[in-house]
Amino acid sequence: MAKTILAVDDSSSLRQMVAFSLKAAGYQVVEAVDGQDGLEKAKLQTVDLVLTDQNMPKMDGLQLIAHLRELPAYAKTPILMLTTESSDEMKAKGRAAGANGWLVKPFDPQRLIEVVKKVIG
Amino acid sequence: MNRKKILGSHVKRMLSGVSDHGKKHLSEVETDLLQTNLLLEEAIEKLSRNFMAIHDAVNAQQTTIRLLLDGGTPSAEDKAKLEAMNEQVSTYVNAAITSMQFQDMTSQLIDRTLKRVTGLREFLATLGTYGAEMDPESDNDAIVDLLGKVSMALAIQSLELRSVLRKAVSQKHLESGDIELCIRDRF
Repeated sequence: MAKTILAVDDSSSLRQMVAFSLKAAGYQVVEAVDGQDGLEKAKLQTVDLVLTDQNMPKMDGLQLIAHLRELPAYAKTPILMLTTESSDEMKAKGRAAGANGWLVKPFDPQRLIEVVKKVIG
Repeated sequence: MNRKKILGSHVKRMLSGVSDHGKKHLSEVETDLLQTNLLLEEAIEKLSRNFMAIHDAVNAQQTTIRLLLDGGTPSAEDKAKLEAMNEQVSTYVNAAITSMQFQDMTSQLIDRTLKRVTGLREFLATLGTYGAEMDPESDNDAIVDLLGKVSMALAIQSLELRSVLRKAVSQKHLESGDIELCIRDRF
């Protein structure tokens, strides 16, 4: 059965690109428009991997990760941040919140798939 | 310090504050716009190049496809070419996907630029409001008091603006970004 990935980003073009790349590699993709939407969708359906942006309205990526880590179903689910931010300070905050990896935009689809395969197979 | 000196000091502080604040935000706006322009130019150049390459690759497949449609059998060389082209097209599509992400980055830069412009307008409006309230017949104490209030209001506005304007986009080119994984601790 195909693994499911939750892709959270407030940019519709980015979500499209992520979903296109992941679906082409055989993954199922659930899209969310911001952290709050992502959290609601993660509660409705348990996913195998969360891929989230940082800067979003309503709830940012760090807040989303913190909320997800409080849920038993997401205690060990891989969460990767896909963001324009690359500062060490922000990466440290991501690790502290419970992120398992950091991908700086723009992403290359092939490298994204390699990372996803490494993390969830 | 006598009253005259206090007044002079307030005027000096306010004028240099307005100048520093204005120059700083305008130079940040300039930097963000230049970065936006660089990203757009590179993205469009890459998109055009990859679009043309995809078009050429698809065209190059037509002869073999026509042969197949006509019931013919492609040679081993034709088959190898078709497979190689398929991989080429994937490479061009991937490069185009990387380039299309310019919209996300440039929209963040434009959003920040707009916030700076709005902040600068509010800053100038504050000056205008206090200026309108000022009585030309005021004595030095009243002017010192008013200038102190103006400086305080401008300082607060400046801090508020700075707090909402983190530099989230530092990329100047569209090469794909770094990847860091820390997966040992969890799954």
